[in-house]
Amino acid sequence: MKFEKKRAATKQEIPTSSMPDIIFMLLLFFMVATTLREQEIFVKFTLPEAKAVEKIENKRLVSYIWVGQDEKIQIDDNIVKVKAIQKIMYDKRVALPNVIVSLRVDKNSRMGLVTDIQESLRKADALRINYSALPK
Amino acid sequence: MMLKKRKREGGEFSASSMADITFLLLLFFLVTTNIDVDTGIGMTLPPKVDEQEIVPMSKDRLAALLINENGDVLLNGEIIAIPQIGETLKERIRSKINLPKKKKLVVSIKTDRNTNYNLYIQALDQVKDAFYSVRNEYAMGKWGKKRDKVTEEQHKELKEKIPIIISIAEPEKVQ
Repeated sequence: MKFEKKRAATKQEIPTSSMPDIIFMLLLFFMVATTLREQEIFVKFTLPEAKAVEKIENKRLVSYIWVGQDEKIQIDDNIVKVKAIQKIMYDKRVALPNVIVSLRVDKNSRMGLVTDIQESLRKADALRINYSALPK
Repeated sequence: MMLKKRKREGGEFSASSMADITFLLLLFFLVTTNIDVDTGIGMTLPPKVDEQEIVPMSKDRLAALLINENGDVLLNGEIIAIPQIGETLKERIRSKINLPKKKKLVVSIKTDRNTNYNLYIQALDQVKDAFYSVRNEYAMGKWGKKRDKVTEEQHKELKEKIPIIISIAEPEKVQ
């Protein structure tokens, strides 16, 4: 008796033609979901570390002030003087009433400068701040 | 003369490598984009008022932290090391959980103009951490949950029982 092996009549291949589409979808998702850093930072700084850090939930509300090692202050794309902070932050607050100001201050700065910035923020009525720190 | 039209074979190209190319693109984007999470210590500054109200405060409510430019830390007049601030405060926060609102602990942090920023953050961190761990204990004991897992209602209770009151005093000028 002769046995013949049974063979499926259908092709034994997975159609891969839709594979690129799927991966393009993935790619698009990542492109949309990630935000590119749009700001160039001119000052050099190292953030302090802390235990009780929390994440900022709403990133849209955040506006940054950088303070570098050489006590230079950067807001948006400019290096500014302490005196100018009040006006800039006031304008920001008018545009976005519940703005959170994230202070990215170098850990070796002096408190005097930080306090001056805080005073300007108080005058500008931007009261929600966040001392940027890395989780320990 | 006979011109023969050359027959072309079916106009197909292999699309199998397309997936690889897109994978490469995907990987490129995955590697180059950095999702930076913002972490930090949140605070609310006191509003600017013309006339400052002076509220008398009883001594047992107040924890005054002083940090000078040499990095010495005083808590209510006694020298303390920064990592010990947390433990000391925790005791006091715990003892005030059931007191009325007006008797809760107020932590005041005062610095010199020349104090190192890092020291200030470390001290502030200790204070915040103390409040958070007492909240955690309370939430664990009452609902068996951590403080960030509680419902809105419970969070309100936490806030009421253990309010975080930190006052940032203006630094003293050093002549």
